[in-house]
Amino acid sequence: MLKFIGRRAAFAAMTILIVSAVVFGIFSFLPFDPASLTCGQRCTDQIVEANRVRLGFDKPIYEQYWLFLSGIFAGRTYGAGSAAFTCPAPSFGYSFNENACVTDMIREALPITISLAIGALILWLMVGIGLGIIAAKFKNRWPDTSSSVFVLLATSLPTFVTGLALLIWVSIKWKLVPLSLTGYTSLIDNPYKFMQYFILPWITLAIAYAAIYTRFTRAALLETLGEDYIRTARAKGVGERVVFFKHTLRAVLAPLVTLAGLDFAGLIGGAIITETIFNLPGLGRLTLRSVYEFDLAVVLATTILAAVVVIVMNLIVDMLYAVLDPRVRIV
Amino acid sequence: MSSRFALRRTVVVASASALLLGTVLVSGSNVATAATTPKTGGILTFLEHEPRLDHLDPARIYTGRDLAFMNSFHTRTLVAYNPVPGAAGANLVPDLATNTGVPSNSAKTWKFTLRPGTKFEDGAPITCKDVQYGSSRVFAQDVINNGPTYMLSWLDIPKDKDGNSIYVGPYKSTPEAQAAYEKAVSCSKDNRTITFQLNKSIADFNYLATYGVISPVQKKKDTGDKYDLNPQATGPYKIVENSKTQLRMVRNSNWSKASDPVRTPYPDEVIIQFGLDEEVIDQIMLEDTIPTAMNFGGPLPTNKDKFFTDSKFQKRRMNNSDPYAIYIAFNVKAMPCLEIRQAMYYSRNAKALLDYAGGPTYAGSYATGVISPLVAADYAPTKVVGPGSPDFMPEGNVTKAKALMETAKTKCPADYKKATEDGITLDVRQSVTLNDTIPINEAAYGRAGIKVKWNIISSGYYSTVMNPEKQKDMSASGWGADWANASTVIPELFASFGGFNLSQNSADPAYKAFEDKVNLAMKTTDRKKQAAIWKELDAYAMKQMWVLPTTFGKAQEIWGSQISGVFFWVPQGNPAYGKMWINN
Repeated sequence: MLKFIGRRAAFAAMTILIVSAVVFGIFSFLPFDPASLTCGQRCTDQIVEANRVRLGFDKPIYEQYWLFLSGIFAGRTYGAGSAAFTCPAPSFGYSFNENACVTDMIREALPITISLAIGALILWLMVGIGLGIIAAKFKNRWPDTSSSVFVLLATSLPTFVTGLALLIWVSIKWKLVPLSLTGYTSLIDNPYKFMQYFILPWITLAIAYAAIYTRFTRAALLETLGEDYIRTARAKGVGERVVFFKHTLRAVLAPLVTLAGLDFAGLIGGAIITETIFNLPGLGRLTLRSVYEFDLAVVLATTILAAVVVIVMNLIVDMLYAVLDPRVRIV
Repeated sequence: MSSRFALRRTVVVASASALLLGTVLVSGSNVATAATTPKTGGILTFLEHEPRLDHLDPARIYTGRDLAFMNSFHTRTLVAYNPVPGAAGANLVPDLATNTGVPSNSAKTWKFTLRPGTKFEDGAPITCKDVQYGSSRVFAQDVINNGPTYMLSWLDIPKDKDGNSIYVGPYKSTPEAQAAYEKAVSCSKDNRTITFQLNKSIADFNYLATYGVISPVQKKKDTGDKYDLNPQATGPYKIVENSKTQLRMVRNSNWSKASDPVRTPYPDEVIIQFGLDEEVIDQIMLEDTIPTAMNFGGPLPTNKDKFFTDSKFQKRRMNNSDPYAIYIAFNVKAMPCLEIRQAMYYSRNAKALLDYAGGPTYAGSYATGVISPLVAADYAPTKVVGPGSPDFMPEGNVTKAKALMETAKTKCPADYKKATEDGITLDVRQSVTLNDTIPINEAAYGRAGIKVKWNIISSGYYSTVMNPEKQKDMSASGWGADWANASTVIPELFASFGGFNLSQNSADPAYKAFEDKVNLAMKTTDRKKQAAIWKELDAYAMKQMWVLPTTFGKAQEIWGSQISGVFFWVPQGNPAYGKMWINN
């Protein structure tokens, strides 16, 4: 197992390095001058050049990339004189729009996105798998039909419609969930405020994902229930409960874990719409704003972070696979 | 001078509004919430769609709303506008200084004496050295940018061969350059009086002292561009949180009412909530979900009727002219043919664009020049463009436009070919409204046979259009006076030494006579005579069609039922935020 993890970790590190180089290269060759974006109305050539030097854009691309990489491990100092400043390691650059080190910005945004993703994941897994099981158990009866209606509705409604509707009706008009404008509070600091802050975003995301998981779970369960080994188990007199939960559901869980892992990774990369509607200053909103403002350092960092999360989640999913399905052997 | 009506400049480039039309205005209701006795306490909340204020660093704030907000609560300046309703709000009053500035030497020397007992939020007393240091930071344009830059050209500091100040700010200047600065901005021995030596007579220099660009900063607390995140307070509130979600300010225990004749801080806390969806903000206002909140950015066009036609919002709304003249600047170097520039003006369908933006009720009125009616002393309809001019038709005067194009055909055939075959390129900022305004514009210009193309800039708009190498044929823009003198409009927009000359008009044969007159106006200390020259120059610029004027804008404000004391602060073009209080 350790050998497997080591090998995959090395592969993951190499992939991340390649991704970072590619992303850095793409941004470096975009047809605009990042130095000129740093100054305002009175943007003279002198100011642009001064900023180019201050932010290191005057160096060759390979040197800029090296500075970026070394900054991750050793930190980086920008500018000179009494206005110089340092972004300590791990430094992913400096945002001239926000006057902040990118790592600090990510450090602020990440807990919000993780909280959003984990809460939504739990909710959609519970609802999606639960409804899928019910639909499969009561195939072609009213619970199945009802779940189909839910699936149809939930997949038809875009997240921004669900989110805005929840916010406007549940919070503003009906006042069932108080508007939470004061910002993020961690679960440890204040569980009540934490729940209040995230409940509507969780529901918004969960509705969209739960529909997919309901459909997937139902289909996979029905398919597995028709497998030969299930028929054999039943013929041997194994109880229906054991057949369903031990032999069928367990087999279905493996692909579900894969799906959940990738969806979770995708959310960490940015639940942009949900974060925007509910004003959650997470990674998605940070990325979106940075793209709009051409804040390349932030876009670069969040892109690489998203790639890292996908790679790490793949690694975790592979390991869980082996736990869930004994037929899979880690070599 | 103190009675002058002052505004602040701010460049507005909203592609939609810039392509929309022109204004005229001045009306606009000036509603104040039913006045009761002001109450202390509570949390005054502002709901904002944008993710942050552009700047908090006093030297970098240059937009009217942000100046009105920060100077009401957080930042004190040497001189301030009197926060009262009506024309009296444009009067200058002493703030950190004991007077509104004492000019001498034909207004080339200005002295301000500091009021005793003023402190920074850390308790350190505010001294002349702090103002001297704070005023030096704007010279470091690579670090402290986006603020007003008058100091760079006005202070009596030697220039290099390129005409730039040899002083490049406090961070990396040579000792000689630093000495030159300290000669131009000096402190008295008792560290209480600051003197500014200017290189020319500036009769209204004290209006610049209403900006944070001349305000105290402690050298030891200056963190360069990071100072923007948490500047030291000198006013009644200090920043305790500046996050992605909110800017939160609480009472500054080192501020005392005895030392501040201007501010009357009522709420215990002032908060701006950032990044909220605009529709959500409007719904909060419609439902009065947060009765102590104000919509900081104004309602969505689609919701304006809900607020302004329903009488239940009568005491919770305000619809005023804003200080901006919106226009499209012609790059005269790229479009030297006057007839084609004029043909574009006359073929444009100003009415369709104004209606799209909300009509005269919400969007403003057709512009008659670049001097806004809010710069009352210097404003007069030019009678060259807009209402009052003989050929102006809101839907476009196609007959005149076609005639001008016919003239252009023989007078400037190369430019005619470009306009009719290759197409004229407009710089505009990316916006969803372009989907609607582009077809309106293309159809309108097409009536005179003019083809237009679009250079849609999604980021770095100013740095692009202000770069002569990158600017196309026309650039959407807007401008508001920094204070009530067109000296902050006409020279800035059209003189070769102006800070925001997008017209590149210095090679125009008509330019020389114009600049001579600008210089004359700058030297003229008789305010009436000066105003007459500005009016004449506004008309002159319109005759030359160096810009295509579109609208004088309007802005709407909406607030919750528990907020009182709201009134339009004329010189700032925004509510006097510092005068609001919470009822319960």
